Amino acid sequence: MPTGGTPSSVRPAPAGPTAGPGARLAERAGARPVSRSTNTDRLAPYVLVAPAVLVIVALRLYPLVLGVNFSFTGDGERDGTTVGLDNYVTLLRDPLFLGALRNVGLLVLLLPLAVAIPGLLATFIYLRVPGHRLFRGVYFFPAVLSPVIVGAIFNLLLAFDGPLNALLDTVGLGPVDWLGDPDIAIYTVVGVHVWATFGMALVVFLAGFSTLDSSLLDAARIDGAALPHIIWHVIIPGLSRTIQFVFVTTMIGMLTSMFGLLYVMTSGGPGGTTYLPEYYIWIQQGQMNRPALASAASTVLFGVMVVVGLLQISVLRRSDRAE
Amino acid sequence: MRTSRWLAAVPMAALALATIYPLVFTTNVALKTRHEYVLDRFSPADSPRLDNLATAWGSVGMARYFTNSLIVVTCAVALLLLLGSMAGFALGRLRFRGSRALYLGCLAALFVPFQVIMVPLARTMATLGLIDTRPGLVLAYVAQFLPFTIFLMASYYAHVPAEIVDAARIDGNTLVGVYRRVMLPIGAPALISVGILNALFCWNDVLIALLMMPSAENRTLMVGVTSLRGQYSDDIPTFAAGVLIAAVPVLVIYLFFQRHIAEGVTAGSTKG
Repeated sequence: MPTGGTPSSVRPAPAGPTAGPGARLAERAGARPVSRSTNTDRLAPYVLVAPAVLVIVALRLYPLVLGVNFSFTGDGERDGTTVGLDNYVTLLRDPLFLGALRNVGLLVLLLPLAVAIPGLLATFIYLRVPGHRLFRGVYFFPAVLSPVIVGAIFNLLLAFDGPLNALLDTVGLGPVDWLGDPDIAIYTVVGVHVWATFGMALVVFLAGFSTLDSSLLDAARIDGAALPHIIWHVIIPGLSRTIQFVFVTTMIGMLTSMFGLLYVMTSGGPGGTTYLPEYYIWIQQGQMNRPALASAASTVLFGVMVVVGLLQISVLRRSDRAE
Repeated sequence: MRTSRWLAAVPMAALALATIYPLVFTTNVALKTRHEYVLDRFSPADSPRLDNLATAWGSVGMARYFTNSLIVVTCAVALLLLLGSMAGFALGRLRFRGSRALYLGCLAALFVPFQVIMVPLARTMATLGLIDTRPGLVLAYVAQFLPFTIFLMASYYAHVPAEIVDAARIDGNTLVGVYRRVMLPIGAPALISVGILNALFCWNDVLIALLMMPSAENRTLMVGVTSLRGQYSDDIPTFAAGVLIAAVPVLVIYLFFQRHIAEGVTAGSTKG
């Protein structure tokens, strides 16, 4: 883009008339020397972004590089020495880490459910089910509570001698050891996570609905189409972008925001069956004092997130094209 | 359609009850005596008493944790809004050499989760002598939530007409002056939304606080709640009172700012 007579290289983004503010400024300033103000103006954007960029580079991006490097060094006696892939080999032999990866697989399998539930609820709220305003407000609330608070509350409700089992007892169902049974605990924690976060996806779906072309929906209704048909042929194609967004953010949420629940509800137990990578990283760093091993786990987690994100996007792209 | 809507309302109402009941239950337990709780968990408290809340606030130490959280969250949010609006204005509203690359860099940071960088970050913070200090935790929160803040502020400022910037500059403002006198006031609605969201994120966090603040007297409120579990496992009403104290500020913010929170959460989804 030619800057023409503009003395400053800094312009408001979509420059209005060709010779933008700079030229007008210069006209106005007349004989006044403009060089000083344009010099400071040229620097001004950098002054504005500098503190933020400094913080992000130093404390977000640089640590990523540092961590990957760090994962190839040793712990304890071998602190600081290069050990090649040893940490990764250790990871792949650690049943706790393998269990954590297995649980990630479980989360991927449960993902469609965690997306479909808020999607269906949002559909009904959009169709103005009686009480829809209240439902929206109530459903969204747990999403703003800390996982710590949610976990603490469910610790009370799900204790072996707690209220839920007492309730089950009155209808003749045996007590379930929600958090103590190695076959059940991970489902319990994931269930609580979905309970606590479905409101977030619901609100995103509702924002998507507000961009949906309502004439299509009206036409389908006039034709007397059944609800499942409307969902399949109108809503899902119309919301493909939103659905894609919810898939990715829900998966990221499952991989990065369940620490609080795990920490409060199971501490990785019973028998290490409720580990997720983020909990494993915390244990190795905070409890076992093995930061290099933790870094290797971090790198694997980052890789998993990149792969999952790309896979989902490509799968959804393909289904987009199939429409 | 009409009947199916009513049919859907019944399970949806049941789900709404299931969503709200755990909190009602906890509140009720917090108002009971231990004896009452053991006799009947579900019955409404005979004579609701605030003893448990007072115990949790005082001798359990929730007051100290509450103060810690309040100080750290206030400072972090103030810094986030300042740095985020400065960078958001520059990256969203101005074109300059490198602006595109800087914006993409900030966006990339958005996709680096804390779990991935927490080990090297803890090392860096230790080297700087910031572990177990409030400035250290504030800085960690700013680093964590700044990319998101910049992203929202930049997309807000991108919709401010260019003429407004031009007019302010014709009036003799430097760009920094335009930011201070024009962009900050114009950005107020976005700053409120982003500020509330950031306050919730920081208030609710436990992982960063655990990593940055290992000593007991520096605990934030959420870390304090996690420590209740071991200490009060046989005194459920006091435990419930502690949990309630930590939840009430969030409940209040939610009741007043629900719309702002929903707007902030969905901002990224429609811009795609």
